[in-house]
Amino acid sequence: MEALPQLIASAIILGGIYALVSIGLTLVFGVMRIVNFAHGEFLMLSMYLAIGLFATAGIDPYVGLLVAVPASLVFGSLIYYVVIRPVVARSHAVQIFTTLGLSIVLQNAALFLWTGNFRQLRLPYGGNVITIAGAAVTVAQVIAFATAAAFTAALFAWLRFTYLGKAMRATAQDRNAATLMGIDTGRVLLVAFLVGTLCVAVAGMLMAPLFATYPTVGLQFVLIAFVVVVLGGLGSVVGALLGAMIVAFIDVVGGFYVGTAWKEVLYFVVFMAVLLARPAGLFGQRGAEHLGT
Amino acid sequence: MTIHASAGHGTREHLPAALLFAGALAIPLATDNLFLQDAVIFMLLWAGLAGAWNIAGGFAGQLSLGHAAFFGLGAYTSTLLKLHYGLSPWVGMLCGGALVVVASGFIAFAATRLRGPYFALVTIAFATVMQIVAARWYEFTRGNEGLSIPFDPTLANFMFVDKLPWTVIALSYVVAIYALASWIGRSRFGFQLAGMREDDNAAQALGIDTRWLKVVAIALSAFLTALGGTFYAQYVGFVDPGYVFSLDLSVKFALMCIIGGMGTALGPVLGAVLITALEMVLRAKWGGERSGLYLIVYGVLLIVVVRVMPEGLVAGVPQAWKRWRARHAA
Repeated sequence: MEALPQLIASAIILGGIYALVSIGLTLVFGVMRIVNFAHGEFLMLSMYLAIGLFATAGIDPYVGLLVAVPASLVFGSLIYYVVIRPVVARSHAVQIFTTLGLSIVLQNAALFLWTGNFRQLRLPYGGNVITIAGAAVTVAQVIAFATAAAFTAALFAWLRFTYLGKAMRATAQDRNAATLMGIDTGRVLLVAFLVGTLCVAVAGMLMAPLFATYPTVGLQFVLIAFVVVVLGGLGSVVGALLGAMIVAFIDVVGGFYVGTAWKEVLYFVVFMAVLLARPAGLFGQRGAEHLGT
Repeated sequence: MTIHASAGHGTREHLPAALLFAGALAIPLATDNLFLQDAVIFMLLWAGLAGAWNIAGGFAGQLSLGHAAFFGLGAYTSTLLKLHYGLSPWVGMLCGGALVVVASGFIAFAATRLRGPYFALVTIAFATVMQIVAARWYEFTRGNEGLSIPFDPTLANFMFVDKLPWTVIALSYVVAIYALASWIGRSRFGFQLAGMREDDNAAQALGIDTRWLKVVAIALSAFLTALGGTFYAQYVGFVDPGYVFSLDLSVKFALMCIIGGMGTALGPVLGAVLITALEMVLRAKWGGERSGLYLIVYGVLLIVVVRVMPEGLVAGVPQAWKRWRARHAA
């Protein structure tokens, strides 16, 4: 049982990061009713941005957030108007293949620009180890978790207390009813998409010092994020938070006991089981799965 | 989406397909160019696989993004049976087909409970699990190293030196799927599928057992996909989990079918020919040192085509032509 504090600490840190990626996805999924297959590629681009800033200008990725946030808003708006908005009212098939197409374009743009090599951002102080309650964690992990937690809390408060946040939650529940209540749902969709992009932009900057970056890195994380979103329930931020912790525990504890080779099977099996048994997720509202009807 | 099940009858309807098939057969007879012969075989294989996807995705409207699971299971079953037990790949192909029919039961079960993006996500997860198992079960599958099939060309080994027998087998595969799709298009089964695709609840209200329809359509689609998997393994002589179970491959089957036209017999053939030709041209032009560039074009094309012609080329081009004529006649 000596490993227990270490496992718990690792799982919580990982969970915080998964949560940030997943909250972005659940908002876009919940509010727009579009599965954004390119979500992982947005994350990948942000990780490359962190590496680029560090390598060329020596900018620390945590300072680089000041660049990543405005950059993600510009990039997100561009993608929204050019690619996403024209298909908002279209069939599932059109939406799925549009975002898949976007994901193919972005992945291969990265491959073209930066080759397929794995890159690792090494912060001079990132590997320093801190011991908390018997668990050893690195500085980069602690900063990533703290920033992710603060960002999530701010987002949560924003959704809860501001007009736009409330409008967004209302739109997620029932787009037609929200329109009838005088909510400008067109604007809400844009804001949801931008918040989603913002979440992965922040996550990418935090993750660049922790994980290797390569053109298809997004796919790995977006699949995890889908698991989290489905577990937590469509459009539910609290659900995404809890779902992220569950998946992170399966990841870390499963990796320790079952072996890293098989842990992924574990959460995909959980994913399919939850989807089939309770499509609205563990914490979502029933009926929410009837997308676009 | 309009109902294509009532599309025109007669021989004229099959003329474009007949010309494509005759052309495919003529190439290995007319030229010794190995590149061209190889291109034709792949076009036929992808046409068959897109056609197999079409039965579940097009006719039944179940947008699977996990058909690589069936393809990979087909490829691995025949290859493993051959390498471990010396069984002929022809028998292995049928074993693979039988295995995926069982496996497809899971996808069909998911189809009866989930719709749209949720169903697509389960199929992705299913294929991903298959991929991980094939990659990690090292003693049996040699993991990510993949499996090579020793080259020993005999009919019983499902291996040939000449490209002609390969072309004939691939062509028979495509023609059979094309014929099946044409039959579905005008059969009671096809009309029931179309009803279910347009409105599941309404179809049920009319007394159609949509659950059973989904099970049959998905099993048929999976079976045909597995046959293509075995053909691929035999022709290429190598299988690895990173390719045969990949999401890219699942997307490719669906993409070719969508670009050509879902729920039509000709659509997947046309889509496969165009996409494969495009891939080859782009790769020849920008492959190699500038890897990735051709896939960028491919992705952009996907986004544009599904937006401009969501019904695919088979329905979209005549419509666009009619509109153009109407505008210029006045």
